[in-house]
Amino acid sequence: MGELRTLLDQAIADQGQLTAVAAFAQAHDLGAIKTQHYRDLIPLSLPKHGQQFAFEVDLDRCSGCKACVAACHSLNGLDEHESWREVGTLISNDWRRPFRQTVTTACHHCVDPGCLNGCPVLAYEKDPVTGIVRHLDDQCIGCQYCVMMCPYEVPKYSEARGIVRKCDMCSQRLVAGEAPACVQACPTAAIRISIVESKSLVVDFREAVTQNSFLPSSPDPAITVPTTRFVSREPLPADLAPSDASTVREQPAHWPLVWMLVLTQLGVGASAAALFSSSRGALMIVASAATVLGLVASVAHLGQPLKAWRSFLGLRRSWLSREIVAFGIFAALVSLATWRVWIHSASSATTLLLSVTTAVGVVAVLCSAFVYRATRRVFWRGAFITFFLTAALLGTAAWTTIAPTAFLLSLLAILAASKLAVEMKTLRHGDDEVVDDVSPRPGEFDRWSLAQTAGLLRGRFALLMRCRLACLITGGLALPLISLINFSPIFAISSFALCFAGEIIERYLFFRAVVPPRMPGGS
Amino acid sequence: MTTPLAKRVEPSWLREFSGPLTAELVQQPGEFGLGRLPSRLKPDATAELVCGFCSTGCGLTAHLRNGQAINLSPSTAYPVNLGMACPKGWEALTPLAAPDRATTPLLRNHSGLDPIDWDHALQVFTLRFKALLDQHGPESIAFLSSGQICTEEMAFLGALFKFGMGGLHGDSNTRQCMATSHVAYKQSFGFDAPPYTYADFEESDVMVFVGSNLCVAHPIMWQRVLRNPHNPEIIVIDPRKTETASAATQHLPIQPKSDLVLLYGAARELIARNKVDSQFISASTAGFEGFATFVRQFSPELVCAVTGLKAEAYTRFVDSIACGKRVSFWWTMGVNQGHESTRTAQAIVNLALLTGNIGRRGTGANSITGQCNAMGSRLFANATGLFAGRDFLNPSHRAEIAHILGIPEARIPQRNSLAYDQIIERARDGRIKGLWIIGTNPSHSWIGQDALNDTLRKLEFLVVQDAYTTTETARHAHMLLPAAAWGEKEGTFINSERRIGLAKKISRAPGAALADFHIFRLIAHYWGCGNLFQAWTSPQAVFQILKHLSANTPCDFTGIDDYRHLDSAGGIQWPWPLGAAESHDVTKAPNRERRLFENGRFFHADGKARFIFDQPRELPEKPDAEFPFALLTGRGTTAQWHTLTRTNKSEILRQLSPAELQVEVHPHDAKALGVRSGSRVSIASRRATIEAAVLVTATVQEGQVYLPMHDPATNKLTFPAFDPHSRQPSYKFCAVRLAPLSRKRK
Repeated sequence: MGELRTLLDQAIADQGQLTAVAAFAQAHDLGAIKTQHYRDLIPLSLPKHGQQFAFEVDLDRCSGCKACVAACHSLNGLDEHESWREVGTLISNDWRRPFRQTVTTACHHCVDPGCLNGCPVLAYEKDPVTGIVRHLDDQCIGCQYCVMMCPYEVPKYSEARGIVRKCDMCSQRLVAGEAPACVQACPTAAIRISIVESKSLVVDFREAVTQNSFLPSSPDPAITVPTTRFVSREPLPADLAPSDASTVREQPAHWPLVWMLVLTQLGVGASAAALFSSSRGALMIVASAATVLGLVASVAHLGQPLKAWRSFLGLRRSWLSREIVAFGIFAALVSLATWRVWIHSASSATTLLLSVTTAVGVVAVLCSAFVYRATRRVFWRGAFITFFLTAALLGTAAWTTIAPTAFLLSLLAILAASKLAVEMKTLRHGDDEVVDDVSPRPGEFDRWSLAQTAGLLRGRFALLMRCRLACLITGGLALPLISLINFSPIFAISSFALCFAGEIIERYLFFRAVVPPRMPGGS
Repeated sequence: MTTPLAKRVEPSWLREFSGPLTAELVQQPGEFGLGRLPSRLKPDATAELVCGFCSTGCGLTAHLRNGQAINLSPSTAYPVNLGMACPKGWEALTPLAAPDRATTPLLRNHSGLDPIDWDHALQVFTLRFKALLDQHGPESIAFLSSGQICTEEMAFLGALFKFGMGGLHGDSNTRQCMATSHVAYKQSFGFDAPPYTYADFEESDVMVFVGSNLCVAHPIMWQRVLRNPHNPEIIVIDPRKTETASAATQHLPIQPKSDLVLLYGAARELIARNKVDSQFISASTAGFEGFATFVRQFSPELVCAVTGLKAEAYTRFVDSIACGKRVSFWWTMGVNQGHESTRTAQAIVNLALLTGNIGRRGTGANSITGQCNAMGSRLFANATGLFAGRDFLNPSHRAEIAHILGIPEARIPQRNSLAYDQIIERARDGRIKGLWIIGTNPSHSWIGQDALNDTLRKLEFLVVQDAYTTTETARHAHMLLPAAAWGEKEGTFINSERRIGLAKKISRAPGAALADFHIFRLIAHYWGCGNLFQAWTSPQAVFQILKHLSANTPCDFTGIDDYRHLDSAGGIQWPWPLGAAESHDVTKAPNRERRLFENGRFFHADGKARFIFDQPRELPEKPDAEFPFALLTGRGTTAQWHTLTRTNKSEILRQLSPAELQVEVHPHDAKALGVRSGSRVSIASRRATIEAAVLVTATVQEGQVYLPMHDPATNKLTFPAFDPHSRQPSYKFCAVRLAPLSRKRK
């Protein structure tokens, strides 16, 4: 037995020894990196004025091995799930021409990058020489607006770090004369870095009126003018669809933004109500409390809240920056106005201050709407009407609760009915054949996207949608109309609470049911 | 391109161009020939080892710190992969750190599996198997092993079980992938000898791929195809328009399992046109006349009717072979996993023989292997064949082995082992009561899976030796032995082109997990037969024994000194007999890439290759009114390996394959069924019913549907038919019916 024990101990001890280095120390040639392989795959010179670096993918050479994705992950030392390159598959349903093509994509280093345009703190820069769109990880505040602004879902948010990261075309390698990880790793040399003319891309994508010449079934290249070139001997069939087209990629709820939008809109609505009401004190308390709570909620959305003070940096380009600044000013004004109202409620100076405050509030809500409209997501085009109706509805509901009149009750009912009409219209989208299409037909993305949103609201989110409509109909229509005949404070408070809850649900669905454009996926 | 990027003008308090988050990704030269790497991943040493997934046998460079691998990239100098790897190779380290690694032996009690120590485990192992042997005889126990473990380990297992423990029946999962090639080569060439080297991909002017989706199954070999400078004709014979078929110059979308008729027909046309190499046929082959007479029945009309090919496509195919100067034929599982697979593989061999396309650059009848060490298993598993291509039934072979190993000849069984399916059959009827499963997952991968799982439940003692506790098979185990995985042990693999490559220890095994080698050695001693294995002390020592076993056989590699020799040469192809090194440098061309049969001599006693053929057989299960669709199965993506035991542990690899099981359906069939992409359907065969999401695509033909084999449900459907010569399961064809499930909106 003792002998067996010894053998066992030996085996366990031996297993613990790492022997590769000791047993096989190799004389490594320090210079032998595989530059030979990729010498032809990276440019020898820098781009000239009006040019930039770009990925070029030879679809005929791409065999679908996906090594590019794994290599990007490994050579860049990214997180377990993180890679800056993704692959998808395009297939044709035309039985006369069976077709399947793997498509590899990373950041397109766009001529007019959505991420950069949306960033409130200038955490993106487009290198003036190479055109590479870089993300400054330490500048990022984790607002994730770039994720919404990029039609290609390129920037990825990391909960752990509280920032997004993205492909920088392996700038550090290019500077050293090495190829990016994906270029190095492609067994068939299907990915290269080429030099493109930025102007001609703008012409191709924004001025020419042909169909999507970037890649079939990809987001409209007019939005950001992507620079990646997908080349093939024969043009790709136009009827291609991604193999994952039927999979709906869940969109995040962004709870802090849900609260922020509804509360700030209530704040602006209440402030406007105060302007016309004699119960200014109470309404301004509501306005300032809602606004402050809304701003607190918005900070909770950020991954790096301590760096948020730089949000003014993006004013020149970013609607988010403008929204933050506008609501910052509004919050200051609304606090001042509340204080002023409690001292000199009826003075003309107070009225002037309230007018200015409300005007700034309206501008701020306008900025909010532009934040979402700028993403070019089809469902979010309705943000203008939605946001202002929310402000009006909640402002009126608050006012009605504090100082009910027949006029206000009627106004509330009219506003609720308007909102109901807007949402019923959304729900009715896709009552035609488009909704049955797994992926959009060429040129029909907008119609298809709205149909998909309607499908989600009637399908996966049907229960929530019913709750939302119940809140609106009971709180905004039924209770006010009953109150016209028989008023009770309970009814008034319930009406406000139901309207508010309804708007929260509506805003949650606003984020969840949007169907953004995306690159072909499905591996 | 060495000018730095644009200068920054903003003050740093306003725009932070650097900081802790930026620093995470800052790179510096990795040295060791690695190019730039993130600073925190800079290695202090590197080690080259061969990959442990497929048979391509790529060289990977482990980036080490204190001897432990922290990252990995493909080796630039290795002659196989030239600096490239597929996603599985890139991610090879990730599965080692998975939380469900087996870290201690486990023993089943009434409530589940309890951790025990090795001493206890080995005692129970010995006690239980000995009890079965005493009570029910040597045929009551068996093992099922793997093409994923090192050659030294499989040799130890085969010797231990058959010579030491006194068992008779053992087989390997290579039965599921390569048995057909093994038998086909053995019968045709006289030895299981794939004749090619990967350089042949670059030298052919015509390449014919039969049942091989190289782009997905062997992406790094496809790299070699694309390096071919001769503008080659690439012909793919496959019912599906696969990635490889899409990239080919000719795609022959034949009806499933009609390849034998096509290949016989092509032989007939070549003979009729006198496009044969008569000199080669008479000097180096036997049986041509009989073959020529036999194939006369396969007229072009018959071929086109059976295969569904258009006459022009068929003619163009034959023309290409006829006109090619260096034609190579390649096959994989589409051939091997069929009901008449051995004859189909031999029909390919016949085409190469009659056109003289063998033994020259860019030619050959070339079987592309599956697992990283299927080739090691074929030669040294000592399971269904005696060591190094020998035969248990041959007394002189038994005497040789007894002499080389220094064991009593009486210890060597005089009977052949049963094949995998027959072992399962015996377990089902209760004759086999104890089973030892090593490094394979039949509960997922075996054909007609449900019947196998019923059988495993019947066993009196099932030992599963694996690196993971969560495999489908481990769920049935009475005892689980924790194994070290690839990268945590030393040993050799033999790849598709016969290259013996070295796997090294670059990572610590978790807990008390031990290399299979250690486990076998310990069992030998606990069993009480340790004296037979005095010389089997380490993988290196066993490698020396294997050299002796290979001496004077076609796979003779006695010229390889040791592991260091393999390491410095970048792997060495067999044969490399003693003395070869004195006249040739194995690290330089042409000896770095060598092919067989350049002298026109084959391994049969007369030196001649055989033409072997048979009448095509009916499919054992055909679509009918009740089950109208033919179900084809195969590899899904490059990111998935077999039963996903390892590849599912990497989040990156998981992202590279569809999230749910997709069944590919032709647009016409989809319309008739009233389904579209994303619809859920049930797929029923006579064995079982499963569910999948539809993917409508014309890359499958009407009347056929396709499922990837990686999903645990797929093999519930497959029909357990076997090739009579190789006993390889016919995974590629069975009859199913599809029905839409209630429409679920997502």
